[in-house]
Amino acid sequence: MATTKTATKKPRSKSAAAAKPTLKKKVEFRFETLFEREKAVRELIARTCLTMDAYDFNSYLDLCHEDFQYTITTYSPELRKDIIWLDHDKMGMKTLLDVLPLHASDHFLRLTMSRHLSVYTIDYSANDTRASVVSGLQVFNTAKDGGVTELLSVAKYFDTVALEGGKASLLSREVRLDTRMLGETGSLIPF
Amino acid sequence: MPRTGTQWESRPNLPPTHYVDPRVYTDQSLFEEEREKIFDKVWAIVCHESEVPNAYDYRRCQHMGGKELLVVRGKDMKIRVFYNQCPHRGNVIAFEPSGNAKRLTCIFHLWSFDTKGNCVEITREKEGFQDRLSKKDVGLRAVKSEIDMGGFVWVNVDDDCEPLSEFLGDSIDFLQGELSTAPLEIMCYHKTIVPTNYKLWHDTNRDLYHEFLHRQNRLIAMGQPGYLDRQYHMHVHGHVTADPSVNSYKNIEKGTDIRREMGWPGGEANLHKLLNLFPTVTYNMRPPALRIDTMVPLGPEETIVEFRGYGIKGDSDEVRRERMRDYNSFWGPFGRNLPEDFIAIVGQSIGLNHGRGSPYILHGREEETPHSEVCIRHYFAEWSRMMGRSAADPFNEMPAVAAE
Ligand code: FES
Ligand SMILES: [Fe+2]
Repeated sequence: MATTKTATKKPRSKSAAAAKPTLKKKVEFRFETLFEREKAVRELIARTCLTMDAYDFNSYLDLCHEDFQYTITTYSPELRKDIIWLDHDKMGMKTLLDVLPLHASDHFLRLTMSRHLSVYTIDYSANDTRASVVSGLQVFNTAKDGGVTELLSVAKYFDTVALEGGKASLLSREVRLDTRMLGETGSLIPF
Repeated sequence: MPRTGTQWESRPNLPPTHYVDPRVYTDQSLFEEEREKIFDKVWAIVCHESEVPNAYDYRRCQHMGGKELLVVRGKDMKIRVFYNQCPHRGNVIAFEPSGNAKRLTCIFHLWSFDTKGNCVEITREKEGFQDRLSKKDVGLRAVKSEIDMGGFVWVNVDDDCEPLSEFLGDSIDFLQGELSTAPLEIMCYHKTIVPTNYKLWHDTNRDLYHEFLHRQNRLIAMGQPGYLDRQYHMHVHGHVTADPSVNSYKNIEKGTDIRREMGWPGGEANLHKLLNLFPTVTYNMRPPALRIDTMVPLGPEETIVEFRGYGIKGDSDEVRRERMRDYNSFWGPFGRNLPEDFIAIVGQSIGLNHGRGSPYILHGREEETPHSEVCIRHYFAEWSRMMGRSAADPFNEMPAVAAE
């Protein structure tokens, strides 16, 4: 038994030691790339939230790829099927965001909105030009009068990020809602 | 000119049909009376036949009077409606909003019922009841139902009610083409619990004067030729229709105008038609989709408003998606119109301050245009008839009003 133990241990440490210089080099190289790339992806997702929280719609649109597709979806247990509540390409999103301030909305009159985000997973395509990102999202409302904060929605972002020309941009976003009853009035402002 | 407290509190110089006491929107005792005299007496939509498309499908719904309902499609494809309540010790039978089950079994002590409402199993029946009570004594409570006006499941919990056709009268002619040319199919559903009275939501649905609130309506409808030439038409039981508006979508986002080409079978693509049925139902036909509002009032100042969006049965996935996109861009929870309506009625409720705020609510506009408030006066005439109370003076505190 003792012999077997030594026998198994030995080659493993030998092989690890033999591979060490190459592996180390490779890991260092890939780590640097991954780190930069992942930082760009994480920051992009975070900035989409920060710009929307600030109603800075132009900066939000700057983060979106020209082929951007945006949907807000949910599953309805009442109908036992999926529903799409908002469905826009980049132009549609721009037209919507441009005129939002001309509408009467809880989020301009009574509330401010805050998106809380946790990036869960990032998977890269084989050629590394796309990242699929899944994040957890909670959206909170804070009343302007008195400042009480309430949870408006629990959701996930299913994003595709384009990694082109040293830049990350949001190619598609599906906001998949758990919460289907959205406060007292719904939300004119997309998540 | 600003007014003093006395001036503010005094009644307007209008007939009592032209304003209401704010407590009709806030008072608990009036609400209890509405449950008994209105909600449990009138026909109401609870869902659509396409929500239970297959044999053994069921849908759990709430009746406006507060009862839990179960809408079930049998093996014979007939839709039946029951109280969603076990006759044993009152547990609800279906918990899920919808499902499919050959037998409806109560989870508590496993009594089972078939889709016709018969009790088919009492666990340990003989041992417990000997011959004192049997399955035939404990069927489900059947609720009168009819499928009509586009395949909607209408119910009335009053066994002695008038037929649905009498309740609707000739109001149904208005949408006959749109509702009978091709079968409808539900696309989307959502609901909201709003801290306000159900009548405020319905007032808003009737009231075309409030189109000023909506940027979308200002752009697509209000500037169109003939907009102000339209009139309301009153029907039995407080129902009301308005001449359709001819909308143009050129001034709003690209694509919205194109989607109009999809149209609606039996209707005209650019016509927007509204049918408001006393006390809570609204048909909102704006091609390429139909919206239906129903309500479950939970209290004088708490209401579930349910929204259903429809396309046509057999629509391709692409067509369905376009209809849904259009519907939701106006009327979904992220739409451009619906949140505006809600913020207005929530604001009204804040102003009502549980009946201690606004001294009266005006419905006094008279003009031969869609900006008349005759549509709301017609509603309150029916409300007063059913309640046996004046809406302007529900507690008989002003003898002069009661006599008028
Ligand atoms: S309460 Fe339903 S079986 Fe007992
Ligand atoms: Fe409205």
